[in-house]
Amino acid sequence: MATIIGGIGSSHAPTIGVAYDRGQQNDPAWAPLFAGYEPARQWLDEIKPDLFLIVYNDHANSFFFDRWPTFALGVGPVHKQADEGWGKRPLADLPGDPEFGWHLARSLVEQEFDPTICQDMSVDHGVLSFLPLLTDTDWKIPVVPLAVNVIQHPMPSAKRLWKLGVAIRRAVESFPADKRIVVFGTGGLTHQLHGTRFGQKNEAWDNEFMDRLETDPEPLADMPLREYMERGGTEGVEMIMWLAMRAAMGPTVKRIHRNYTAPFTTGYGLLALAN
Amino acid sequence: MDDVVSGAYLFTGERSARALRLNRMAMSFTSAENRERFKIDEEAYMEAAELSDTEKDLVRRRDWKGMMDYGASIYLVIKIGGVTGHPLPVIGAHTAGRV
Repeated sequence: MATIIGGIGSSHAPTIGVAYDRGQQNDPAWAPLFAGYEPARQWLDEIKPDLFLIVYNDHANSFFFDRWPTFALGVGPVHKQADEGWGKRPLADLPGDPEFGWHLARSLVEQEFDPTICQDMSVDHGVLSFLPLLTDTDWKIPVVPLAVNVIQHPMPSAKRLWKLGVAIRRAVESFPADKRIVVFGTGGLTHQLHGTRFGQKNEAWDNEFMDRLETDPEPLADMPLREYMERGGTEGVEMIMWLAMRAAMGPTVKRIHRNYTAPFTTGYGLLALAN
Repeated sequence: MDDVVSGAYLFTGERSARALRLNRMAMSFTSAENRERFKIDEEAYMEAAELSDTEKDLVRRRDWKGMMDYGASIYLVIKIGGVTGHPLPVIGAHTAGRV
């Protein structure tokens, strides 16, 4: 049987990728972020996962609004890097896991989640910005990406993301072969990319969110999206994807590592949890 | 009616439908070849993208706030910013009315 051996919540942002590619790991503004990923990376090296299951969102790079999935699951053998409009980064394409991906597709549909099943789905900074900070970029660990619409309204509720995490856990437990899986919930934390509050973040709420996600997460699933957006910006609503990771982990977790830094327009959070 | 939260438009289905052509042109800039074609002849590119006169004017004037008022998605507006050399901090400040 497959098991979930860890959960990671992480912000994603194009700027992280730019800083990584430029070698700004030791710049004063960036060092707290890059150093903050090191303990999580070491832990991942120790627990030796066989698969990363990453709940994230596409930012109109793989999909467009002519056909915009609420949930989309990448079951292909390879996930190419999307060009986001300024050229691709020097990163190899990500390996997928069709066997587990199709199992997850079957299980989710049985559990009344109905993702668009994608055999050729490229991934953007929603996956690739933070991943090089957590694992070697020869990508030895396959990835199954699960994209969520958090851009175009109507979008799924926080409760729906929680239930998705519960369904992911059941899917993992029903996989017949041994597989050690780390589930990711990515996005956020608070940021506002346009409008009168452009550039504002909410560091108190970011930290409260990470506190509650660890110890008392279910009430976070009852919060309306409007409240997430009022507290953390219209783009900060991405935070709800962390709930899928947390629900997949089961009731009690042990914190391995946590980091928070907000040098620019986005609150960058990282939370690594074990069962 | 526009739905505004946290000082910003919600990108609703209504807005997505209204700005579909403008957003689609922005999406086309995920191709390096298309970016080059736009840089060579913006007017011809916008014509081929079937933009309305209003939409073309928003792009000509680099009117980021106007694009958001019109209904564009910020994630697509920044692709127009990418091909015209305007990074997010510039676009965001403009949408906030700060410049």
